[in-house]
Amino acid sequence: MKGTFSLNILFSYLRNVVLQNLLFEFKKIISLKFVVVGFLLCVFFVPVGNATEIVVNQSVPVQAVSLNKIRAIFTMHQRFWPSGEQIKVFTLVDKHPLHKAFAKNKLHMFPHQLRRVWDRMVFSGTGQAPVTLESEQEMLDKVANTPYAIGYLSREPDNEKIRILVNE
Amino acid sequence: MNRFLVFCYGLLMSVNVQASFWPEELQTHGFLTQNFFHTSDNNVYGQSDDGISPGLTEIGLNLSYQPFSRLTLSAQGLYRRAGKVDGGNVRLDYGVADLNIFNYQNGRIGIRGGRIKIPFGLYSETRDVAFTNPSIILPQGIYFDRSRSLLVSADGGSLYAEHRTEYGDLSFKFNLGMPLGDNEEIRSAILGPAALGKFEASPAFATQLSYELNGGETVFAVSYMNLKLKYHPSAGDFISAGNTSIRPLLFSAQYNGEKLGLTAEYLYRWNSYKDYGVMPDFQFVSESWYLQGSYRFLPQVQGIVRYDTFSSDINDRGGQRSVSNGLPNHIAYAKDWMLGVRWDITSSLMVRTEYHRVHGTAWLAQADNQDQSKTKQDWDLYALQLSYRF
Repeated sequence: MKGTFSLNILFSYLRNVVLQNLLFEFKKIISLKFVVVGFLLCVFFVPVGNATEIVVNQSVPVQAVSLNKIRAIFTMHQRFWPSGEQIKVFTLVDKHPLHKAFAKNKLHMFPHQLRRVWDRMVFSGTGQAPVTLESEQEMLDKVANTPYAIGYLSREPDNEKIRILVNE
Repeated sequence: MNRFLVFCYGLLMSVNVQASFWPEELQTHGFLTQNFFHTSDNNVYGQSDDGISPGLTEIGLNLSYQPFSRLTLSAQGLYRRAGKVDGGNVRLDYGVADLNIFNYQNGRIGIRGGRIKIPFGLYSETRDVAFTNPSIILPQGIYFDRSRSLLVSADGGSLYAEHRTEYGDLSFKFNLGMPLGDNEEIRSAILGPAALGKFEASPAFATQLSYELNGGETVFAVSYMNLKLKYHPSAGDFISAGNTSIRPLLFSAQYNGEKLGLTAEYLYRWNSYKDYGVMPDFQFVSESWYLQGSYRFLPQVQGIVRYDTFSSDINDRGGQRSVSNGLPNHIAYAKDWMLGVRWDITSSLMVRTEYHRVHGTAWLAQADNQDQSKTKQDWDLYALQLSYRF
């Protein structure tokens, strides 16, 4: 008797396990569907590439820049603001997704093209590279606390020491 | 060598330790490259024939400091060891004071003084920095390694100007200075293996005008140099005190796309030999060009293919004059097919390998191939490179 009882318990346990697993698999399939649909919606309906903002320290005496100017600043060719103060350029490491997005959307360049320009200056004694940072938080701190600094962020900054530089 | 490494290590450590005290106006960068070569015949960078030569090592360390906003001081020390041509020594690669004289919204003008890198073609200024080069061995018809000291840096001054327009950016450089001219390979390249004296360079100028579109996506450049060398015979030398002038004109074009890269350069070089006594004065023109294509299969992996050709005298492409001087005719030319792969493991670590099929021996170093009559016309070259940078 004892044996039958324990077998019953075992069977019901196994049944529950199997049912739960099936349910779990079913839920996974459903949620996967949502993920796929959501992803497709993102791809087709969400504009990609507006997620980068060029930001400057509040001390910067410029409100808007053209593509040419912004390129000249980040390739370290233009070193001074119109008022004469030296531009402090901050950038993220080459492989950072935000750096790639910034190069592509705001400079219409690729990270390897920027790297080429900076390396040629750094290793020939004809210029300096921008200060390279590891994270977006670091970028926010540096631009906020360095007079005449320029950098980029993935969102609008809620810091009064930083403002967005708009495209001309 | 060991002392230099210890010095580098010490400097690196001090950079790490003092990172928080390190002023932002002071930047330091460096690189370390080790190359390995194997050839089917002929030797490059040491004994590469029937073996593997680790004979090319390049270590560089630079500092750049901006004491005032318009003044930048920068210097780079370079350790280089290259087969039997260069047994290995540390020297100042560049040491420059750069004064930004005039700035306006679309450009700038400035002057540089000190030991300055020579702007010649697309790669000269950073020719020893593996990360900036397209291949382990640069196209040798233009970026000669054996007589490189004429093309590396010069002591003097430079004027530079940059102007940006809606239709691209113009950049101009004019350098006047004393190239580092005395070198046995230059002597051998000019006068052959039998000469014993020394060459002395005169002040030379190098100038470059370049035009770049879309932040360097497309680059066009023209470079010109005027080199003058005076020969000082040693006692018992059968060659008299002659003069050589070398005037290379180089056209460059490059496209750097997201994945595809295309590069072409064409060199036309006037050479003049005067008053050497044993041979009549003569003038001749050397020519070289190459076509290079690269493709980025993955963000970190690039394939490259190149054809490079050089003729030391366009009126004697087959090398008949070499034969009449008792040297093999294939010393007068070199045609090189190259195939390579580069893998950037991280942004500061890179490994690459390449294969060359070479027809001709024009750019082989005399020091690595003492008996030029034993060199072979058709040969294969395999190279492997490991490079670190920071």
